[in-house]
Amino acid sequence: MTHALAVDRALVVIAFKRRLAYKSGWIFGLALGGGSMLISLTMWQNLLGDGSLNGYDWASMRAYTIIGFIAATMVFGAADYQIADRILDGHIAVDMTKPVDFQRARAAEYIGSMISTAPTAALGVLGAWLLFDPPGPVTPTAGLLTALSFVLLFPLAFGITYLSVLVCFWTKRYLGIMWLREALLSFFSGLMIPLAFMPGWLQAAAWALPFPHFTTTPSAIYLGRVDTAGALGLIAAEAAWVVGLWYAGRLVFRFAVRKVTVHGG
Amino acid sequence: MPILEARSLTKTFRRPDKASGFKGAVKHLMQRKFKNYTAVDGIDLSIDAGESVAYVGPNGAGKSTTVKLLTGILRPSEGTVRVMGRDPHTERIANAHDIGVLFGQRTQLWWDLPVEESLKLLKHMYGVSDADYQRRIAKFDELLDLNEFMPALARTLSLGQRMRADLACALIHDPKMVYLDEPTIGLDISVKDRLRAFLRELVNDGTTLLLTSHDLADIEEVCERIVVIDKGAIAYDGSIERLKAHYITTKAVNLYLEGTADVPALAEKFPDYEWTAGEAPSEVTVTYESGRFTTAEVLGSLTAQLSPRDLSLSEPSIEDVIRRLYAGELTK
Repeated sequence: MTHALAVDRALVVIAFKRRLAYKSGWIFGLALGGGSMLISLTMWQNLLGDGSLNGYDWASMRAYTIIGFIAATMVFGAADYQIADRILDGHIAVDMTKPVDFQRARAAEYIGSMISTAPTAALGVLGAWLLFDPPGPVTPTAGLLTALSFVLLFPLAFGITYLSVLVCFWTKRYLGIMWLREALLSFFSGLMIPLAFMPGWLQAAAWALPFPHFTTTPSAIYLGRVDTAGALGLIAAEAAWVVGLWYAGRLVFRFAVRKVTVHGG
Repeated sequence: MPILEARSLTKTFRRPDKASGFKGAVKHLMQRKFKNYTAVDGIDLSIDAGESVAYVGPNGAGKSTTVKLLTGILRPSEGTVRVMGRDPHTERIANAHDIGVLFGQRTQLWWDLPVEESLKLLKHMYGVSDADYQRRIAKFDELLDLNEFMPALARTLSLGQRMRADLACALIHDPKMVYLDEPTIGLDISVKDRLRAFLRELVNDGTTLLLTSHDLADIEEVCERIVVIDKGAIAYDGSIERLKAHYITTKAVNLYLEGTADVPALAEKFPDYEWTAGEAPSEVTVTYESGRFTTAEVLGSLTAQLSPRDLSLSEPSIEDVIRRLYAGELTK
């Protein structure tokens, strides 16, 4: 393993351990996350009955909700505030004295904290599977491509989170930024309500943003709402966002680092 | 060949200029005004390899800002810095391999994990071999009793333990240049003594050290050279010995007389000395110029003519000199 990868691995592991250091909070999140999905599933079951809405029947909505739950658990459960806190309380001064790329180190930490959400996602999915028996992927290829789109969610979530956290250099506050990001993500990803339920212009606006890849892309591939070529196109778009956001993060950091003040000690 | 060289180093911050209260906040929202504040003002500093330099100044003088400029955390508004030939800001990662930094007020330990985890992560970051890591941990343990709290969570450490652990973090990669920003802040006397002994050993091993502290005992015990900064500019730069020789020009004797000390009468009788009343009525302090009179001469004349009950000698400390430098009573 190269030195840089060994550092990445060490940061992933330490971020994972940090999340598990607060055991009661972690176990509480484990139970709470699955609970909210079960409520959502019950709501859709009653709403759809034996019919369908905008191309979603109860079978496909079961899979859609579970996919949305996995994405939400990964993204909202990661420790974005730890990066923001370090910028706001001046600990970034310590980070800047370390021989590691700031963005890459934060990415490794963020992914480590996302991995710590895996048991929550697994437990929730298991519960949903036992209680609601959702359908499997439309084909094995669709299953594999869904998994690939989920893997890309790790760097995509980091890209969006990192850019929003860097705004703290200017605003000196994080809470409002976090709320705005989570609201945009919930709405434009289709987590709150599938994009197919929205008017055409709003769907177009959503697809101009990276957010639909958090729920709409993996669920569309899984349920066969796009063919293999369409799935590959969606994954390519997701990958393009990953690369674009990574370099956007680099560019913004170059300006943000000039704003570092860290007064007093 | 200097290991660190700063030329005309300047850092200016922009601060909001707003009146206090609700009205001031609203006015600032509508009409945003800012003022420039110069924290570091054209500093020239050169440090040779192996030197131990104390960087002192009153609160808000620009000490910590200078350290952040020298370590590459901040970008200078004007001027240049070179550390081992590199610009520490634009070549931050390469520079970070060769420096060790401790901020007394900011820990580099991962707060919710055992100390050992933080050290192991730093081992990976700096690419320290297993053998070097074990050897250095053993040395830190010998001097700082590190193993006593290695398995403890960082947030459960006492301040003294936290500072010792932070020092180990700053030095785990055997850096050539070490910056310590108030390493003894808030520590008790025994922990301070241990840290100072450790730092002396570090300097003896040839590490270059820049130390900021408000505790002048840190400086006298660890450093050979002192740089005094005030209002962002250097007020003194030279050896501690020269500072003493140059500025400590008077000595004092405290006399405890049999009866009440008549200070005006004594001043008239011994006009070459300066007389001030002490805390007790019988106590008086005699200050004399050390260049004009020897202590033996002064004591001889005073004991012969006044027959004091007791006496004690007091030599102005480096602390008095620094205090007077801060107050602007002394010039370079």
